[in-house]
Amino acid sequence: MGALTDKYCIVGVGETPHMRPSNRTTFSMACEAVKKAMADAGLEPREIDGMTSYQAGDSTSSSHVATALGIRLNYSLDIVGGGSSTEALVAHAIGLLEAGYCKVIVIFRSMNGRSGRRMGGQAPSGPVPPVRAEGDAQFYMHWGWTSPAQWFGMSAMRYLRDTGTTTKAFAEVAVAHRYHASLNPKAIMRTPITIEDHQRSRWVVKPFRLLDCCLETDVAAALIVTSRERAYDLRQPPVFIMGGTARTMAPNSAWNYSRPEIHYVAGNYGRNRLFGMAGISHKDIDLISCYDAFTFTTLIQLEAYGFCGKGEAGEFVKGGRLQIDHELPCNLSGGHLSEGYTHGISMVIENVRQLRHRVDDACPGWAEGKHTYDRAAGCRQVKHARIAACLGWGTETTSSSLILRGISA
Amino acid sequence: MPGPIDYSKITIVPDFDTAEWWAGTKQHKYLVRQCKACGHKWFPPFPACNKCTSMELTWYETAGRGVIHSYVVVTQPILSAFVEAVPYVVALIELDDCHEADGSLVRVAGVLLNDEAEVAIGLPVTVVFEHTPDPNIVIPRWRISGTAEDTWKFTE
Ligand SMILES: [Zn+2]
Repeated sequence: MGALTDKYCIVGVGETPHMRPSNRTTFSMACEAVKKAMADAGLEPREIDGMTSYQAGDSTSSSHVATALGIRLNYSLDIVGGGSSTEALVAHAIGLLEAGYCKVIVIFRSMNGRSGRRMGGQAPSGPVPPVRAEGDAQFYMHWGWTSPAQWFGMSAMRYLRDTGTTTKAFAEVAVAHRYHASLNPKAIMRTPITIEDHQRSRWVVKPFRLLDCCLETDVAAALIVTSRERAYDLRQPPVFIMGGTARTMAPNSAWNYSRPEIHYVAGNYGRNRLFGMAGISHKDIDLISCYDAFTFTTLIQLEAYGFCGKGEAGEFVKGGRLQIDHELPCNLSGGHLSEGYTHGISMVIENVRQLRHRVDDACPGWAEGKHTYDRAAGCRQVKHARIAACLGWGTETTSSSLILRGISA
Repeated sequence: MPGPIDYSKITIVPDFDTAEWWAGTKQHKYLVRQCKACGHKWFPPFPACNKCTSMELTWYETAGRGVIHSYVVVTQPILSAFVEAVPYVVALIELDDCHEADGSLVRVAGVLLNDEAEVAIGLPVTVVFEHTPDPNIVIPRWRISGTAEDTWKFTE
């Protein structure tokens, strides 16, 4: 167990609806998400003194949001980044709290990921108009290789070749996450799908079909981190941070794709740090979030973090293992594939709600932790959810993670 | 063969780290970065040697040949320059003459001149230089240049 295990908690979460399009500014959406997270925690603006966010030059700043909401900060920072940022900013928050820079920290992501700067790389209306290719883009652009689906597809293709896995394994991930979305009133895509639906969906970039790809979304989401002592006084059951990694990298041969195995991703180098700091093993994990920018990114991280052996993820996910009430429920909100795309923060938020036993589903008593566990009636609370792993993904070579613990199982 | 790429819709802006590389393609040379101190080779041309941190660098002229390590087939264009080109294959190419004793190697990417039907992991490729409306910018493409025993092809 690490020296900081259980010392800090996630105490508030909130988000706007998942919209396509929002017809709003990222500034407005960020204010709504932060306000909802404060209300969820039972915190007043005057009690918040730290705020951080992550973005890709497509959002608003912490100091701007704080000013709008009447929050006076002792610390703010806005970093560049995507899917490895939420877990990394939680680690960063722990450092700040530990050092005394501030006492209660909000972390948010606000993006018009569909109507503004699209995460899939296209412009809002379609293919990007004439562009200047600067920096690394000088190469990626003339290579015709400019979107996350195209980049990760390269690693996925080699993975299929090296392991004999087929795209039916991708389908298992899509089906599981969609099933969970069908139990989530907030999700964009709620109609359950089958393996065959996945296999019939159109190609985006081979080996990825449409149903391998996440949903570009306009959304903001926020969470609040503070000390255990402070957490006990707040509105929600605290969720303890047991351990984590913050942008752990894979050894780099100058460039991602010149590494010996391009699908041996960064989580492989983070897993011992993660489980070591949390002081638990895989069998203690009740549910996970596993970054699903694409079905493949979920699949490969199951191996990287040691939930199954190398090359075995395809077998591992067969028969619905990632679905609720099965062995390793994954992305219970529907994830980025089916709920909506937030660059990772919504997956951590869902795990927090699961660990509180207060998942916002169709159960009338969810806010008091009263769940029926009746999936046909729309309950998506995992029974006896006590420990969750959050497995973020930046690229093949960058990963962040968290292990969280609840108290009310 | 894939459709044409409209290079007028990508304005390449060479910089401190890349200008000499573009000068190389103009002369139909496929260059990779090389460390003067330890001989290590890499690409893209990052500004320091990641084996010894030297910033005393030169260029190594490769033979412009390699093997397809992986590939994707782009069916949905992202940049308007590629709207007429889809479906096209982006190959990740392991260069033949950049292997080092400790196992390090150099891969580059590029758009194949061949169609999806012809592509497979393991096939050899050779560089072909394609001229653009900008006389200073010459773009390397790749063509399948032979057969191989151990190949693998994506099947749907
Ligand atoms: Zn060197």
